[in-house]
Amino acid sequence: MNPLKATGVPAKSGVNKTIIDFLDKAVEKKVFDAVIVPMKTPAQDSYSYVLVKEKSLLKEDGVPLPPTMFIQGAKAVSSITRRGKPPMKIAAVMRPCEIRAAIEIAKLGQIDLENIFLISMDCPGVLPTSDFLKDPKKHEQLFEEAIQKNDDSIMRPVCQICDKSSMIAGDLHIGTVGTKKGTFLIISNTSKGENVLKELGYTLNESIESWQKKVTAISADKKKKRKKAHAELKSKVSGLKNLVETFSECINCHNCMRVCPVCICRLCYFDSDKVKHTADDYLSRAKSKGSMRFLPDTTLFQMGRMMHMSISCVSCGACEDACSMSIPVAQIFSMIADETQSVFDYVSGRSIDEPIPLVAYEKEELSSVEDAHD
Amino acid sequence: MTKTIQTTKSTEEAVKDFLKTLLEKEKVCGVFTLKKITSKAVAYTLVTDPAELDDAVPLYPLMPVNAGKLLSRFSLKGSSKKPVIAVVKPCELRGFVELIKREQGSIDNLFIMSFTCGGVFPTSTEVDGTAEKQLGSYWETVKKGMVNKDVRPTCQSCEEFIPYTADITLEVLGKTDIDKQCIMHITSKKGELLFEDNKNKFIEKDLDTKKLDTIRKQRSQEKEKLYEQLDKKLTNIDGLIEIFSKCLSCHGCSKVCPICYCKLCEFESADAEYGPSQYDSELKKRGGLRVPPGTIYFQLGRLSHISISCVACGACDDVCPVDIPVAMIFKKIGESVQQMFDYVPGKDYDEPIPLVTFENEEFSEIEE
Amino acid sequence: MNMKKNEEFMPKIIAFLCNWCSYAGADLAGTSRIKYPPSILPVRVMCSSRVDPLFVLNAYLGGADGVLVAGCHPGDCHYQEGNYFTRRRFAMLKKIVEGAGLESDRLRLSWVSASEGTKYAQVATDFTSKIKELGANSAKYKIFI
Repeated sequence: MNPLKATGVPAKSGVNKTIIDFLDKAVEKKVFDAVIVPMKTPAQDSYSYVLVKEKSLLKEDGVPLPPTMFIQGAKAVSSITRRGKPPMKIAAVMRPCEIRAAIEIAKLGQIDLENIFLISMDCPGVLPTSDFLKDPKKHEQLFEEAIQKNDDSIMRPVCQICDKSSMIAGDLHIGTVGTKKGTFLIISNTSKGENVLKELGYTLNESIESWQKKVTAISADKKKKRKKAHAELKSKVSGLKNLVETFSECINCHNCMRVCPVCICRLCYFDSDKVKHTADDYLSRAKSKGSMRFLPDTTLFQMGRMMHMSISCVSCGACEDACSMSIPVAQIFSMIADETQSVFDYVSGRSIDEPIPLVAYEKEELSSVEDAHD
Repeated sequence: MTKTIQTTKSTEEAVKDFLKTLLEKEKVCGVFTLKKITSKAVAYTLVTDPAELDDAVPLYPLMPVNAGKLLSRFSLKGSSKKPVIAVVKPCELRGFVELIKREQGSIDNLFIMSFTCGGVFPTSTEVDGTAEKQLGSYWETVKKGMVNKDVRPTCQSCEEFIPYTADITLEVLGKTDIDKQCIMHITSKKGELLFEDNKNKFIEKDLDTKKLDTIRKQRSQEKEKLYEQLDKKLTNIDGLIEIFSKCLSCHGCSKVCPICYCKLCEFESADAEYGPSQYDSELKKRGGLRVPPGTIYFQLGRLSHISISCVACGACDDVCPVDIPVAMIFKKIGESVQQMFDYVPGKDYDEPIPLVTFENEEFSEIEE
Repeated sequence: MNMKKNEEFMPKIIAFLCNWCSYAGADLAGTSRIKYPPSILPVRVMCSSRVDPLFVLNAYLGGADGVLVAGCHPGDCHYQEGNYFTRRRFAMLKKIVEGAGLESDRLRLSWVSASEGTKYAQVATDFTSKIKELGANSAKYKIFI
């Protein structure tokens, strides 16, 4: 584990401008050849990730911390390296959960991190897409205000209970909370990140103590909220009856699965031949109950997906935004993910060197789940 | 003149009774219809026990999933040994027929009951509970045959509200006494098999084509209005890019579309992914590129694949997480493609999809 | 975006030419030294029906100023029926491109036989001047495409 090192930069007019200036400098000095950064779309009603090389474009239109997360950033990065390592050095600027997702799917062979530099920032949360779309201009304003007031009540439900909003997993991180007035920190987490800062002429002698103190306090506070929220949610969805009712409106559109950064299968099990049965099969199942929802196995899809990906879930909330029937999937999946990951003391995407628990093992462990026999 | 069975009961009650009788007398071993599953939600259900039809809502104005897709899944690996009857809406039936033409299902041992359709609410009304609240006014407009403003835009502008290939067609749209009477038209020879016990009770009657024509005119007017709005936006490539600005390529539209059945979609295959050299050349050319790439390519490409068979059901609209008016765009372009071949998707089982057939002399005007 | 002012616009037209007729016809134009503008970038396919509408879309959205699909005359297809399907697919594609608000005039279908070197040059010349009128395809520079 690399010790965190930092340099201080003037806070200027907000985190967006600070990050853009930094990226501009890096592209100028050819430390990066291109950058993946969110930009406002031509219709001005949304933001999307853009792989940008043209400096003027980056400077004028880049918005590193947009109010919405239309696409999970890890998916954007993955589309660039899946068919081979890019021939250029690319910096990807995304929120901490997107960075963690990128690292997690790098372990699954979806991203080649070699020429990729992952840059995150302290995250205030992100607005639910459907809220944002009701009035984009107004919500941009509300987002800015929320950051100023440290108020996350308008953010995604999973953001409101996120205790990892300043978790550093990538190469560089922009620290904005708890810093000296008028200063932001650029923190390096890896030797790769450190080299970037050195190449750009920064001296890494700034203390991160006040930032660290503040983020630890925020995280502790969020952990409390999280525990409470999860306890409430658990009682609402626990048990077969509640579970079936929670997912009663699910139409199996599989939007949640397709926007999920860690659902990477090109052909999902739940779209494959395995779930396609004969007419008489369906009829005999229906007969055993008197009637059967068609297509059946909605709960199987939800639980199955949970089983497949909860060990890697980064609690970003993309699934809930994409759900066409407004089911609180992110809150449910995030709650279960906390539980499954804690069995292995694992945090998804925390470190590229940490194998995903289901592809590793200890000879002696988890005796509590085995039948005792001697 | 078609044979009809007329019952002095509300159409919904008469249909439920009929379906129950079919199960009880073992004329069918299963009924496929909408059922209320919670206070807000309805879902298509395969029913084998007549008692389970008590909370069936066969005519409920919601389409959580296009039933044509479901019937295709049901019969994908072959028909059931014993007959099943399905109550579906006209566009769902047409979607199923188009899928059958693509070998994605079979009509064998499947009886279809459909009806003249007043449209469905967007699925968001199921989520927020407004569907229940709007039911009363919905049925009032259906009885009068007026365009209902609460239904999907594709429904407001739908001119294909009379089913073509159903075995039984119910009078619903424009039927002022729908609460007191049920008229079932037996619209196929196969359908008569279900009425062997009531052979002597048939009354010869046609659908009120005059009334339905008037309704169609209203729907056409609505269609022209909605098309005009689209025309204003789709004027050049910038307009096209703007309308799809929010698109996140989630492919939800494709997944709920009855016509999109490919196990591995072209636009999710490795073919559609850019390699390093392609990113390099794109960046050199454009200076910047939205990632993941291929938003417009996906939309136009999907049009090139399905526009010939688009039944304009509107399921794509409802599933879109960012509220892009996909359904009307696909309906408009789909219709212009279909009209070129005088083709109405799903009208006739025996009519081949225009792209797998040809005339020796045609379209001389497009060759230059 | 970046056009030198004193340089005349030479369009880039991707041409899908079927091996047996139109490609041979293009070859003949060349061996007969018939002049036509250097705007055509030929792609040889075995039959015009090999041309997936997606190829044409990809080329258009990738910034090709024009896309030409050329095959045997209907009735003369080396594989009997291929070009009949090409014709239908092309008709559909043009409608889609039109309906989306794009310039369907940038797409062209021509029948050129192996002996029609002159016709090929004619098509190339005609199409090039048409594209020159339309100007460069701005799709080339779009970022959010």
